[in-house]
Amino acid sequence: MNLEWSGQEQIKASKAKVWAFINDPAKVASCLPDLQSSDVKDAHNVDATVKVAVGPVRGSFKFAIALVPNADGSHMDLKISGGGFGSVVNLAAGADLTETSDGTTLDWKGSASVSGPVATIGGRVLDAQAHRVISTTFENVKNAVSQAA
Amino acid sequence: MTSTQKLPERHSIGQAMKRKEDPRFIRGKGRYLDDIVLPHMLYLALVHSPYPHARIKKINKDAAMAVPGVKAVITGEDLVAAKLGWLPTFHGFDNQMVLAIGKALYQYQEVAGVVATSREAAADGAELVEVEYEPLDPVVDPYQAKLDKIILRDDREAKTNHIYHWEVGEREKTDAAIAKSDVSIKQRILSPRCHPAPLEPCGCVSDMNGATGRLTVYMTSQAPHVHRTAFSLVTGIPEDKIHVISPDVGGGFGNKVPVYPGYVVATVASVILGVPVKWVESRTENLTTTGFARDYHMDVEIGATKAGKVTALKVTTTADHGAFDAAADPRKYPAGMFGIVTGSYDFPTAFAEVDAYFTNKAPGGIAYRCSFRVTEASYAIERAMDILAQKLGVDPVQLRRQNFVKKEQFPYPSPLGFVYDSGDYEATTKKALDMIGYDALRKEQAEKRKRGELMGIGVSTFTEIVGAGPGKHFDILGIKMFDSAEIRIHPTGSGIVRAGTRHQGQGHETTWAQIVAEELGLDPQELLVEEGDTDTAPYGLGTYASRSTPVAGGALALAARKIRDKARKIAAHLMEASEDDVEWKDYKFSLKGVPGKSVTMKEVAFAAYTNPAPDTEPGLEATYYYDPPNLTFPNGTYVAVVDVDADTGVVKVRRFLAVDDCGVVINPMIVEGQIHGGLAEGFAIAFMQEIKYDEGGNNLNTDFTEYLIPTAQETPHWETGSTVTPSPHHPIGAKGVGESPNVGSPQAFVNAVIDALSPYGVTHIDMPLTREKVWNAIHGAAPKA
Repeated sequence: MNLEWSGQEQIKASKAKVWAFINDPAKVASCLPDLQSSDVKDAHNVDATVKVAVGPVRGSFKFAIALVPNADGSHMDLKISGGGFGSVVNLAAGADLTETSDGTTLDWKGSASVSGPVATIGGRVLDAQAHRVISTTFENVKNAVSQAA
Repeated sequence: MTSTQKLPERHSIGQAMKRKEDPRFIRGKGRYLDDIVLPHMLYLALVHSPYPHARIKKINKDAAMAVPGVKAVITGEDLVAAKLGWLPTFHGFDNQMVLAIGKALYQYQEVAGVVATSREAAADGAELVEVEYEPLDPVVDPYQAKLDKIILRDDREAKTNHIYHWEVGEREKTDAAIAKSDVSIKQRILSPRCHPAPLEPCGCVSDMNGATGRLTVYMTSQAPHVHRTAFSLVTGIPEDKIHVISPDVGGGFGNKVPVYPGYVVATVASVILGVPVKWVESRTENLTTTGFARDYHMDVEIGATKAGKVTALKVTTTADHGAFDAAADPRKYPAGMFGIVTGSYDFPTAFAEVDAYFTNKAPGGIAYRCSFRVTEASYAIERAMDILAQKLGVDPVQLRRQNFVKKEQFPYPSPLGFVYDSGDYEATTKKALDMIGYDALRKEQAEKRKRGELMGIGVSTFTEIVGAGPGKHFDILGIKMFDSAEIRIHPTGSGIVRAGTRHQGQGHETTWAQIVAEELGLDPQELLVEEGDTDTAPYGLGTYASRSTPVAGGALALAARKIRDKARKIAAHLMEASEDDVEWKDYKFSLKGVPGKSVTMKEVAFAAYTNPAPDTEPGLEATYYYDPPNLTFPNGTYVAVVDVDADTGVVKVRRFLAVDDCGVVINPMIVEGQIHGGLAEGFAIAFMQEIKYDEGGNNLNTDFTEYLIPTAQETPHWETGSTVTPSPHHPIGAKGVGESPNVGSPQAFVNAVIDALSPYGVTHIDMPLTREKVWNAIHGAAPKA
């Protein structure tokens, strides 16, 4: 099952501040909704345990998150892989930053491939749930950076 | 032999006796597999692949073994080391992995087993077995499989996804007849993948006794003897050291015929650990890994004259068998009895072919109250006859009647190689039309159409083929498909009856007693019927494919007649007469020409033990192994009446009538119950049930929230009727009925809905007819002006 979404956040902070934030694996992990614990591996990698509820599937999923920044400080790729309940979830997200008059625009795109019981049991609600998770993550990024600014 | 013949009042056969097994079932006193608890018993949980197609790079057992209570973790490699990595499938053309070896070939395939002191610990352990997969592109459609771009089975010599080609009939003659016919139709008709979903899922308790070397396997089995032989062949354990017990079975529908990985892993675990091991699958495991049904994509062509006489039938089928060829068909018939596809109609020529393919889906195909592909065949012809009627602009019932095999044509050799035993399709159909008031319904429909209301009438006039079967044609694992009965009459005239079949709700404990009671003039209430224990029952091939009454039913009658032959000698001795002067009349032995001089079977039974005839073996028992000379061919005419809501796509089944002809009826109440149950399933298949996979190979119908079972709320009210055309070759004239309602009904529902939608130019919709599909069919095309 392959899913795709996109969205945009207007962040009232400089591009440099947003860039610094999304380069910090601990801070990025802290923006995941229903985060239970996180374990920073190195400057670009963090393991996160997240509470998941998709239809009748409820429990913890473990994800390995890798941050892949580009050289000019305007695009970040996120690779999130993991799963639980015999299910496998692979998420890929990309964020583009653009300086605006009153802050930064963050355009994001995400896609996911899902195998196993989560796809089958949660099929009808999975798209909406996964969209919620990824859009909430970027919304949390916006709120966290804005508060810090 | 007329189909409405009035049978004389009989002692036991034909009586609507209440089922002897029901008191224990309705009071919760049955003993099912999961009720069995043995001392020191461990529990098995299985690990399943999340991927439909993936290489297995590594399996790490450490975390699972660290769970308190976990005693063992078993993988495919472990089984290979024990030479139990692969199992032969029932017809012997393929081997099936027990646990995934090297690759996982379908989502939810069993990859490892965890054995622990509790069900919970086993499940916790299963969660922690770390399997490293390398996902591969899946093949989820037989037409994609056909391209051979991705080869699923690298264990097989032939590097192709194609499993077999099978054909029957005359290709050239059929093609030529269709080409020169006045009118022809061609339609791809899908009989979708569905699942029998018995209420009780599959399971076993394997108990290897290290001291005696004897393996006892309690299992949910429709064919305990075949399973014993299969266990012996696969494990090398001598067959006398294997004891299979099939306790009360909570529904089978063909789902409990194959050998599943859980049985093997639990047995291996019991051998290794020296204690009993229980495996009971979950609903999801049942729906995702065990024998599914159907998945036949059928291209159906019919040629006909302008006047509506059919001239030729051609059916080209692409079959999706899943990852292994585990369709439990007899060896000679890889596509089962698909040759019944000419149905009730007298086609001068016909041709059918089936090509089967591997896909990354669960294996199976022969299940769900379907006698070896009869359901698919019957659906195809009954749907196609309606499409032809629509094209010719004639009444679909009229078209059928015009083309029926006539009563006087029986025994009827069909163009695809079967010899139909008996039938009177016109009489069955006339009875159904009279009962439902067909002409009045057509009038009502015409009036409603003028008002823009969507009412539909659908008919199915099907012919079944059941009772496998003659040993010369049918086998499982090479074992001929006979069946058996053993009867022991006790001194006081009660007795015990054992058969090689194993009921799962069919009522054998009652009907078998009725057959024996009829033959011997005894009380059916005093005949205990026992099945399912391989230590005590005579060898039989089991209960599926509507074969119990046609085959074991024959064995029971003939075993009883053997007893009667011996009893005649004893009766002669008791009446101090010559055996030639003793006749069996009115259910007792009488002396010819001496009114009032008679002895009952009870008196004979007592004498068999207390005063046996000279030179006669004491006791009164017999065994019979019955190899039927032919299959039986039940038929029926079903009529569905539906109303369709154009705004919502909701179909309401207003009436449904099933008139069945299953030959001589042993217990009309049980037959009616069988028909009700099968119709509920046919209704579900027509409107609700499909096992779907998405493009990534995810199974989308893995539990009862996504795979629907009709409840009392959805299930329509059933009307039933019958005609009786005895089977000429069966000892009591019976034909079997268990599968008729499932085989015959889906097309009646679909034909009714298409009939309702015909003003929109709709000619076909594939099942299940969900509201969405019906709505789309209505709104995809504007009504004809």
